[in-house]
Amino acid sequence: MPTIVDIAVTNDAFQTLVTAVKVAGLVDALASSGPFTVFAPHDPAFAKLPPGTITSLVQNPPQLARILKFHVVAGRYTRDELRHCSQLTSLEGTSVDLYDDGQTFEVNNATVLAADVMADNGVIHVIDTVILMRPHWFAGIMAAGRTDP
Amino acid sequence: MIEPILPPSTHEFADIIHRLESGGAMLPDTPENLMQIIGLYKAYAVPMDFYWRDLLYIAEQVFLDPLPAFKYFLPEEYLELPNHYAGDQADLRIWRGGATAHPELRQFMEKGELRRSLPKLAHHLWHDRINMEFAEECMRAMLWHRNMGGQLDAYLDSEEYRHNADRAIRAYFQFNPVMLAFYKIFPDMFLEQCRQSTMTSVLGLFWEIMAPVFFEMSDLYDEGKLTSVPEAMNFLVNGIFAIAGRPIYHRVRIRGTWYDIVPHSKGFTWLYEAAFPYVEAVFYRTSPFRGTKSYNAQAKQIPADQNDFHYGVLYADKFPVGSAGIPPTLLHQDMFHFLPPYLTEYYRQHCRGEDDMLIQLAISFQRSMYCVTSAVIQAGRAALLYPLDDPNPRHRLANRAYFEGQLNRFCRREYGMHQAARLKAIQSQTYR
Amino acid sequence: MVLSALIWLPILGAVLTALMPSAKGAKATAIATLSAVVGLTLWVSRQFLLTEGGFQFREALDWLPNLGVNYTLGLDGMSLPLVGLNGLICWLLVFAQNASAGRSRLLMVLLLLTCGGVNGAFLATNAMLFVIFYELELIPLYLLIAVWGSAKKEYAATKFLIFTAVSGILILAAVLALGWLSGGEQPVFDYVQLRQQALPLPLQRILLLALLIGFGIKAPLVPLHTWLPDTYVESSSTVAMFLGGVLAKLGSYGILRFAMPLFPEAWAELSPWLALWAGVGILYGAFAAIAQKDIKRMVAYSSIGHMSYILLAAASGTALSLVGAIAQMVSHGLVLALLFYLVGLIEQKTGSRELDVLNGLLNPIRGYPTTSALLILGGMASAGIPGMVGFAAEFLIFQGSFSAYPLPTLMAIAGTGLTAVYFVILLNRTCFGKLDNNLYYPKISGLESIPSLVLAVFIVVLGLQPALLLRWSESTAQSYGSAAFLPPPVIALHPISHD
Repeated sequence: MPTIVDIAVTNDAFQTLVTAVKVAGLVDALASSGPFTVFAPHDPAFAKLPPGTITSLVQNPPQLARILKFHVVAGRYTRDELRHCSQLTSLEGTSVDLYDDGQTFEVNNATVLAADVMADNGVIHVIDTVILMRPHWFAGIMAAGRTDP
Repeated sequence: MIEPILPPSTHEFADIIHRLESGGAMLPDTPENLMQIIGLYKAYAVPMDFYWRDLLYIAEQVFLDPLPAFKYFLPEEYLELPNHYAGDQADLRIWRGGATAHPELRQFMEKGELRRSLPKLAHHLWHDRINMEFAEECMRAMLWHRNMGGQLDAYLDSEEYRHNADRAIRAYFQFNPVMLAFYKIFPDMFLEQCRQSTMTSVLGLFWEIMAPVFFEMSDLYDEGKLTSVPEAMNFLVNGIFAIAGRPIYHRVRIRGTWYDIVPHSKGFTWLYEAAFPYVEAVFYRTSPFRGTKSYNAQAKQIPADQNDFHYGVLYADKFPVGSAGIPPTLLHQDMFHFLPPYLTEYYRQHCRGEDDMLIQLAISFQRSMYCVTSAVIQAGRAALLYPLDDPNPRHRLANRAYFEGQLNRFCRREYGMHQAARLKAIQSQTYR
Repeated sequence: MVLSALIWLPILGAVLTALMPSAKGAKATAIATLSAVVGLTLWVSRQFLLTEGGFQFREALDWLPNLGVNYTLGLDGMSLPLVGLNGLICWLLVFAQNASAGRSRLLMVLLLLTCGGVNGAFLATNAMLFVIFYELELIPLYLLIAVWGSAKKEYAATKFLIFTAVSGILILAAVLALGWLSGGEQPVFDYVQLRQQALPLPLQRILLLALLIGFGIKAPLVPLHTWLPDTYVESSSTVAMFLGGVLAKLGSYGILRFAMPLFPEAWAELSPWLALWAGVGILYGAFAAIAQKDIKRMVAYSSIGHMSYILLAAASGTALSLVGAIAQMVSHGLVLALLFYLVGLIEQKTGSRELDVLNGLLNPIRGYPTTSALLILGGMASAGIPGMVGFAAEFLIFQGSFSAYPLPTLMAIAGTGLTAVYFVILLNRTCFGKLDNNLYYPKISGLESIPSLVLAVFIVVLGLQPALLLRWSESTAQSYGSAAFLPPPVIALHPISHD
């Protein structure tokens, strides 16, 4: 089976992601044995970001690497295995919120478009939005809002 | 136009919730508000151009100087330091103007309010200068209120940081055996000073971006290209996104060599390690300024929990502020020197004209900071939640919970926070 | 002729003011008239013989000789300071008027009329003439209260009218009785003659009581004061200043001029009770003031307490306390006028006089630092802090009355302490604390501050140099003090500080 990196490189929908991973110098890491669970934003997800965001990230590889690491979790988790799990800790250190009601599978504010793309060293879930770290106070703010999400 | 798909909010500030949900700001969209906030951004940006340069100078060169008497005397090198977001060589050009110190700032530093070329020291002692005291107060607020999100806070306590700091401190005091001896006896004191220096660098890097953002907004307004409060807010939101990934670091130059204390490679970013903590520490919390009001801690007038502090600009009572030596007053004084003419004329026609211009501009400043906070809230919503026009009601509910959760910070009854918050006051123009 | 001028000049000025074609001209006329009155008073004081205890500048015209009612005027050390006070306060009141405001012309006309009437009462040396002037000023005053007052002005004006009418009737009755029972063929109302006659003690008692109640209403003395809080509070601040600053002095002047010297035996008999009455009044006024939430009402109650000092001084009847009493009348007039002026200014600008609403007015940028500072000064003066005119007056009263009536004097001293209590409450709530930043109070212009500044200057200058105030009345007080009655020894006034 191909590695996570191989799958991304060969798929036209992940050109931005692949470039970013290369700039951030994470290719080797993602090609290693892992295993990893990767939430991979496809190209339209990056296109949704305001202009300038990518530019300034590409200028600063360590910062870019950090954002990318947030999309990666150690271990191989399929959608089924995550059904009863509401949080995972990313390689970046901040946790990722999960939501699955049987029909939609969401990661933070992104919706999973294609789940369980299996690779040699892990699993890929394709998402429609670049996810960003939620600071710890975010949960408190959401809890303080009177309407439950 | 965003079609509402949820029933109306029942929140105390339902109007403002609906406004935020339709892409507006906490500040009502009126031409008068727009004029005030843009004028204030401009007046704020000029001293800010000094603040960030001097903060970086203090963090990078003054560092742990035990007698930093001249830390506010900015060397030419730092006035020439190119802003990364302005000028032709910019990483990302936000302001179309130049990258070195703003011309109005240079002009003011030359002659000051006295309009006289006196020795620098005379201007300094007469307080006829840019008042760095305010900037340092903000820095201390960020240092003192910890755990506001981001990973820098934990890093400051890490062994790695301790090691980096130790290397820099030893190099800095290499030829000063007295200080080295003190360092041996009180290592933690020096470390804490080093953390303060790091925070100084963080704030300097943060403001380095805000200054060109505000300059550009003022220019756009003057050109007639910024015509409403939501447009102003959205410019800020886009700015926040564009530079979210800008690195935050701290390095010190000792005898020509750079020492990394917080290296670039840690991946600390402008949004997480500077902007969010800054808004939390400075806009919401800060600390009760000496001299503005008498507090009785025994009567529980001061929150026991630092998270409940509410002395920032969004809650500030702008009347008693206005006494000499109080950091916000010093900021107002700084901005007063660079007000655009349309605002000076506007203030002259209201309240007590010349006599209380500082208070009038302080309240406009408060309005403008409500607009910035709105931008941060909307940026947070966009980054962490869903688009305003998301068709999924569950997503819209999450957005609403987020907005309501944010506004609840202005409704809490503890310590009279709901009375201190100026959200209600800024809804009308009678508050000035 | 000069005394007549002091009476008729304002009345003539009133007519001219009414006839002036423009509003500005009207105000200028009123100011010019009162400036002439003040100037004339100054000229009179230059000619005034300090060593003479009796009346000076006497004028006499026969009017109704058969009835004993003649137009006789005279000025002595008791009336001179009050005439000066009247002129000064009227001048300031007219100065403070906004010429373009509706009906300000009518207000100035009425003020001028009252000013002339009050001068007439102070200068009359014929008891009936005094009563006539005393009654005459009632009509313009009724209008002043009823036209310019606040919500309950009609009620307040009517209450004032009834009380003052009763006061007038009692005084009229007493004076008539005094004149007719003198035993001669024709009634005698001439003051100098009245002082020389001796009435039987029972008659003295009745007449003294009638006069005391009559003047006690006017002053006012507890418990005859109930008209005062309503009237002062419901009146505009201009009228309140005039009522408290000048009009109240007619009552105390009546007591000192008529009640005390005309019935020496009855007075001596009653005076221990009067002293006690004064002590109770002082404490009552202070406690009532402490309980108030409305700053104007608080000042009104403070006035009740402070007028009782004069009764205490009169009861002791020593020359020293009488000098103090006269000084107290002037001091009270100045201080009360200042306080009412400032309270009125604050009410006009902030729309409130509630202790619970006002706060932080001392704020240098958005508050009223000058006005608040003057309010603090006024409060200190009222509380008898040394260096201000209230101290000089009260100190003399206590010095003079303590040997005669130690207990009431101690009550009065306690009252002075309580004055400080309610002024600290007032100042602490209104001037200090945090200015509410959801409201904006318009600026008080420098011009608006002038009347209060002038009053403050008088308060401080007379406080630092009390001789400027006391020297006029010393000789007169000697003559009254010694003639009054026996018990308390007359204390020599020169030098004031014994070694």
